Amino acid sequence: MAVSAASFAQTGPCTLVLSGQVFDEHDGQALSFAEVFIASLGKGAVADEQGHYRIEGLCPGTYQVRVNHLGCEPTTREVRLNSSMTIDFKLEHHAEQLRELEVIQARPDEQVGQPTRSVDREDMERASGTGVAELLARVPGVTVLATGPTIGKPVIHGLSGNRVLILNQGIRQEDQQWGSEHAPSLDPLSADRITVVKGAASVQYGSDAIGGAVIAEPVELPRQAGIGGELRGIGQWNGRGGGGSALLEGGLKGVTGFGWRVQGSGRYVGDSDAAGYTLSNTGLREWSGSASVGYRDHRRGVSVYYSRFTRELGILRAAHIGSTTDLQRAIDSGEPWYTAPFSYAIDAPRQTVAHHLLRAHGSLAVSDRGRLEVNYGYQANDRQEYDIRRSGRSATPALDLWLATHTADAVLKHWLGKHMHGKAGVSALAQENSNIPGTGVRPLIPDFSKKSIGAFVIEHLPVGERLELEAGARVEGTVLNIRRFDRDGQYQTPEHRFTNAAFACGANYVVSDSARFRFGLASAYRPPHVSELYSEGLHHSAAAIEEGDAALGSERSVKATLDAEAALFKGRLRIDATLHASRIDGFIYLRPDGTRLTVRGAFPVFRYTATDALMGGVDAAATLRLGKKFAWRMRGSTVRARDQRRDEWLFLMPADRVENGLLIRMAAIGRWRDFEAGVTHQAVFEQHRVPEGLDFAPPPATYHLFALSASSTRLIGKGELRIGLQANNLFNEAYRDYLDRFRYFADARGTDIVLSVRYAFGSRRSGN
Amino acid sequence: MNIKHIPTRKLALALSVLLAIAACKPEKPESPANTPPPNEEELITSVRAYFTHSITNEVVEFSWVDADGDGGNAPVITGGELQPGATYAVSLLLLNETESPADTISNEVAAEAEEHQFFFSTTGGSLTWVSYGDADPNGLPVGLVTEWSTSVAGAGDLTIILRHEPNKSAAGVSGGDITNAGGETDIEVLIPYAVL
Repeated sequence: MAVSAASFAQTGPCTLVLSGQVFDEHDGQALSFAEVFIASLGKGAVADEQGHYRIEGLCPGTYQVRVNHLGCEPTTREVRLNSSMTIDFKLEHHAEQLRELEVIQARPDEQVGQPTRSVDREDMERASGTGVAELLARVPGVTVLATGPTIGKPVIHGLSGNRVLILNQGIRQEDQQWGSEHAPSLDPLSADRITVVKGAASVQYGSDAIGGAVIAEPVELPRQAGIGGELRGIGQWNGRGGGGSALLEGGLKGVTGFGWRVQGSGRYVGDSDAAGYTLSNTGLREWSGSASVGYRDHRRGVSVYYSRFTRELGILRAAHIGSTTDLQRAIDSGEPWYTAPFSYAIDAPRQTVAHHLLRAHGSLAVSDRGRLEVNYGYQANDRQEYDIRRSGRSATPALDLWLATHTADAVLKHWLGKHMHGKAGVSALAQENSNIPGTGVRPLIPDFSKKSIGAFVIEHLPVGERLELEAGARVEGTVLNIRRFDRDGQYQTPEHRFTNAAFACGANYVVSDSARFRFGLASAYRPPHVSELYSEGLHHSAAAIEEGDAALGSERSVKATLDAEAALFKGRLRIDATLHASRIDGFIYLRPDGTRLTVRGAFPVFRYTATDALMGGVDAAATLRLGKKFAWRMRGSTVRARDQRRDEWLFLMPADRVENGLLIRMAAIGRWRDFEAGVTHQAVFEQHRVPEGLDFAPPPATYHLFALSASSTRLIGKGELRIGLQANNLFNEAYRDYLDRFRYFADARGTDIVLSVRYAFGSRRSGN
Repeated sequence: MNIKHIPTRKLALALSVLLAIAACKPEKPESPANTPPPNEEELITSVRAYFTHSITNEVVEFSWVDADGDGGNAPVITGGELQPGATYAVSLLLLNETESPADTISNEVAAEAEEHQFFFSTTGGSLTWVSYGDADPNGLPVGLVTEWSTSVAGAGDLTIILRHEPNKSAAGVSGGDITNAGGETDIEVLIPYAVL
């Protein structure tokens, strides 16, 4: 406080307080972390999440108070201060009111032209006890590529794996995502919000974002003193298990801007049940924890985040087969060949994964018109897969991989001229994949190191009140160094170099307060993964030999999206819809290429092949309020994908689906608040659009699932208690999903009832 | 709050926490650089069936050998010639010949006899599988040793199947009927024969 006390000869006691709140002029929403500043005193404050600010120790006098919020026009206002005053400021956002470049937070920037949808904590509550992919499947256009009940990967507009980029805490997740039976090593509860970008997004995020991106947003640390926390418990009937999590966060008294958070969670589930039998060896254990600490004010910020995620899961015993004869037998019988009574035990085949993430973030306002953000991430992914083997070797992993990845990026967020603003940055990645010796099995993918470096710029230009334009570009170079032994034992070190460029342009047009369009045309690229170049080996559950092709080049795509949001009939009907179309050149997929005679009989050989793909579809959601309490909700999506070179359908594309729900909401029932209950029906139609000769069995039939849910909240002491009850697959329907790789072997899960309880206090209460 | 003076201290605090966390960053397991790929321990490169004539004790060898394992060179399949109207005792030998000396996989099968069972079938009608000649500790058949018989002259193929974790007590399985056996296939090879 030395500056203000010494510098000014004001009369009267310097104990006055200027406080208030900062709002968005357009929609009246509070603006988080706006900067309120009295330049003549060198004194200021940063508003909190609700836009509250407070400047203490002011002398009486007249001041020019400047309010700043990136994404808004700065406002200066003269304030004559005779006594402590409360003054609210309203800032005018640029024409595009719904997006903002945060001043303090490191939240990923929304794109002007890209369709994005978020899953917030409330939605996460409703999906308690599921993995990331199942959680995201609430977003229209997102489906799940499953490998039995324990493994799920998010699919955006029909693309998954290496074609969906996952950003965890601002760092691109590198966890052997090439494998379709490798679920993301990510605890959804470690993020406050998960956003799905449903457009090609390589300009913003680099390679792989062909189908889109999943962004688990960085935790927002508290900036004020006081402790907050929450406890959760989940019990699930199917699998006879449950989970829980605990979170504690706080600040430091007297040091506004400093915050910390620790969080831990676990899940422990036994064998799942299908409608008619137990899915043996489908137990799951997950343990994860994270800790973060940081300081931020309106000029600078620094934070550190560490998380560790471990998972052990069993793979359906009946899906472990030795030959095509076994596979045909499984398909013909329609039932798993192996079932045993319910058990919590996890035996081979099984997987264990540990994923570590360390992230350091710094930001600094380099001027009034620019902010530099620097991110460093270190990830280590430790994966073992255990197969059923003879002579006690089941305890030795058949696959033992260690993947270490360093990522670093520096981004300058800046203003150019009066209205134009954007980001320019560089990013780099260094990665090392190692097969840990001792497996006694020839490695499925070789050791390799990968380095890439890229640079990008993206600018936003508001045009008038209603239109905002966006344009950007990125270039990136990748070097891949392989270390492998060929079949004759010769050591080889092939090198692959890829150079790629991407562009993006978009427009956001606000027709009126109740309607908005986003149009985006963006490209993305993806160098082939090592598995596509050098894979060699037998895929057990697929009874197929997979072979890479070292001559493959990068996939390049262009994707156009048109996203519309509208509120009609005074807001009674809300509609949002996304139309998308994309062309992917050099689309890599597995294609049958003859058979090979092995000691277990003849196996089909699948070779990675490139083609040109043309895809398109629609996702839509609508909510209609019926009276004060009821609402009807519809969600649906459809995708069509063609192999252009062969003029046939693309393999493994999500079937059309539609979900209808009737919801009832009541503000209060006695002491219970925010009561919500609903019944939903989901229909997933049979996929008729499949290529000839690529699959072992025809796609499964149409299925219908019903679900019930109810939840409510009440205050208990200083805390808040929320209880939710959810029943899925209410009528115990026996069904198989086209995108479940184990649909050849067994039905999907039967009825499940999930009870979730959450207790929150302090800053974690929903009102805060 | 004075925005100029506080951060340094807190920055230092935050940085020290960073260092503390970085200090416990995970360590990669030790692995010498450029370790050559292991020989496949699970691999079965050779299936050899020795047919011993019950009277003359003459031994005829049938073999299915894929010396370099899956992929690479195609397997070498060598059939055999048997005499008509005879009975044969057949013993099986399974080897992994990528190891040196060769790993005798049939010993592993014998050690885990309860979890394994061989099944046989033939075409051509001149060669017939008769019965199992061995048993696991539960008294159920394994099939490393079997009895066969030949009839008139002719030719065909014999199929040898090894199932891991079959349901040996299911109907017909202990009598050599594979229909209800379940389990997963470890071996499924086809070898030609001739009865002259």
